[in-house]
Amino acid sequence: MKPVLTFDKVSMTYYTKANETQALKDLSFDLFKGEFMSVLGPSGCGKTTLLSLASGTLKPTQGQILLDGKQVTKTSTDVGYMLQRDHLFEWRTIYKNVLLGLEIQKKMTDENVKHCERLIEEYGLKEFKNHYPMQLSGGMRQRVALIRTLALKPKVLLLDEPFSALDFQTRLHLCDDVHAIIKKEGITALLVTHDISEAISMSDRIAILSPRPAKLHRMHETNLSHHPTPLQRREDPTFAPQFERLWKEVS
Amino acid sequence: MKNTLFSPMHKRYVKKLKRNKIVITCAQIGVLVVFLCLWELLAQVGFIDAFLMSSPTRIWRTLADLYLNGQLFYHVWVSLFETLLGFLIGTVGGTAIAVVLWWSKPLRDVLQPYIVVLNSLPKIALGPIIIVWAGTGQKAIVTMAVLISIIVTIITMLGGFLQTSPEKILLLESMNANKMQIFFKLVFPANLSTLASCLKINVGMAWIGSIMGEYPVSKAGLGYLIVYGGQVFKMDLVMACTIVLCLLAGVMYFLVALLEKFFVKWKS
Repeated sequence: MKPVLTFDKVSMTYYTKANETQALKDLSFDLFKGEFMSVLGPSGCGKTTLLSLASGTLKPTQGQILLDGKQVTKTSTDVGYMLQRDHLFEWRTIYKNVLLGLEIQKKMTDENVKHCERLIEEYGLKEFKNHYPMQLSGGMRQRVALIRTLALKPKVLLLDEPFSALDFQTRLHLCDDVHAIIKKEGITALLVTHDISEAISMSDRIAILSPRPAKLHRMHETNLSHHPTPLQRREDPTFAPQFERLWKEVS
Repeated sequence: MKNTLFSPMHKRYVKKLKRNKIVITCAQIGVLVVFLCLWELLAQVGFIDAFLMSSPTRIWRTLADLYLNGQLFYHVWVSLFETLLGFLIGTVGGTAIAVVLWWSKPLRDVLQPYIVVLNSLPKIALGPIIIVWAGTGQKAIVTMAVLISIIVTIITMLGGFLQTSPEKILLLESMNANKMQIFFKLVFPANLSTLASCLKINVGMAWIGSIMGEYPVSKAGLGYLIVYGGQVFKMDLVMACTIVLCLLAGVMYFLVALLEKFFVKWKS
């Protein structure tokens, strides 16, 4: 099977006037179609850098990143980005927020708009279509942000700690929702997080990074895909031992 | 989701809110009435000199006279026209310059100290230069109103533009947006409330500009009447014109606030 996203010996160094910081060093991994992979590592180890590289907003100092076998040189519509905060535009209704990407890319065709309407309807936001973001709860807003990203039909979805700004209850529910949506739409996902239980419950594989400059410490297989939802995975007998092992490796 | 069934407690709460509002409004009007009555009374009994301090009835008579001989609206119109023109040019021009400076970081870096200095400079000091260059007509007065409002506009709007969330910009960039789209889809709409507060400031700035512009050289306008009144010791005229000014500035501010409500309707 050919990978959708490949990191091939990627290094990244930041330069400032007084200093240079190596964030990533010789990082290599493959992400396969339909797979959900998490990146776990100590804080400040360059997880967000990794996503910026994958999305093409940053260029690696060394090595290359391949998307569908082609080198990533600039931002591409094949990659969707979901951030820590929902960043919905307060002055646009939910419906208009979802259509933002299509407007930017001048792809407002009947087919694409219908696709958006289907997503809005299917994921329980139909009655809020004409509401403004201010009128929605945090979890709901993050769901809108996901649909705004999916509206562009990305091949790979990058998630930068998208649940970290939410309270615990909402977070668990939204994990289930987001996981279900991603699996149903058949999207390949790369999640960056520092929450170990979130990583185990959501992903098929976990890439554990070492402290800065980050290298791949180990690739962890969760072997939990027989459970349909993240919440059920948390109850699997292997969950606690996995957590313990990862916790030791990360800290 | 509007709730249509209210508990009696809620009704009581709403009633209390309404009563509070009525009390405040009454008190506001009360302050004005008491002030005017006291002023009139003290002038009538001769405690204060009505020739120097004027009095509400004298002001009223002056206004009536001005209105009857057709002078009032002529002068109001002259000042209002200068102010509105200065306000418009200052706001639109200032915003346009802010857009250019947001767009080009090199230009911004180069021009920054000049803008800071121009902002600190009391624009009134430029009066004589403006008169020599733009003549003594309305052109000079409008120039003054523009000068006073444009620098504040540039600084306020540019500050707002630059404070746009970098993460939101990243989001648009990840959608392949170009700079033009980033500006029109994000930076400008995100700063409509900045623009609204800028408009409110500029109402005041434009009036300062036009009245100060009328002081040294003009043949008409409220500023002219005030200076003329001062020179010939007609304090009734000075007071009457000041009150008309208050009313005009108040109405203009109110209209701008109304406009803001219309544009940032998502806030409610």
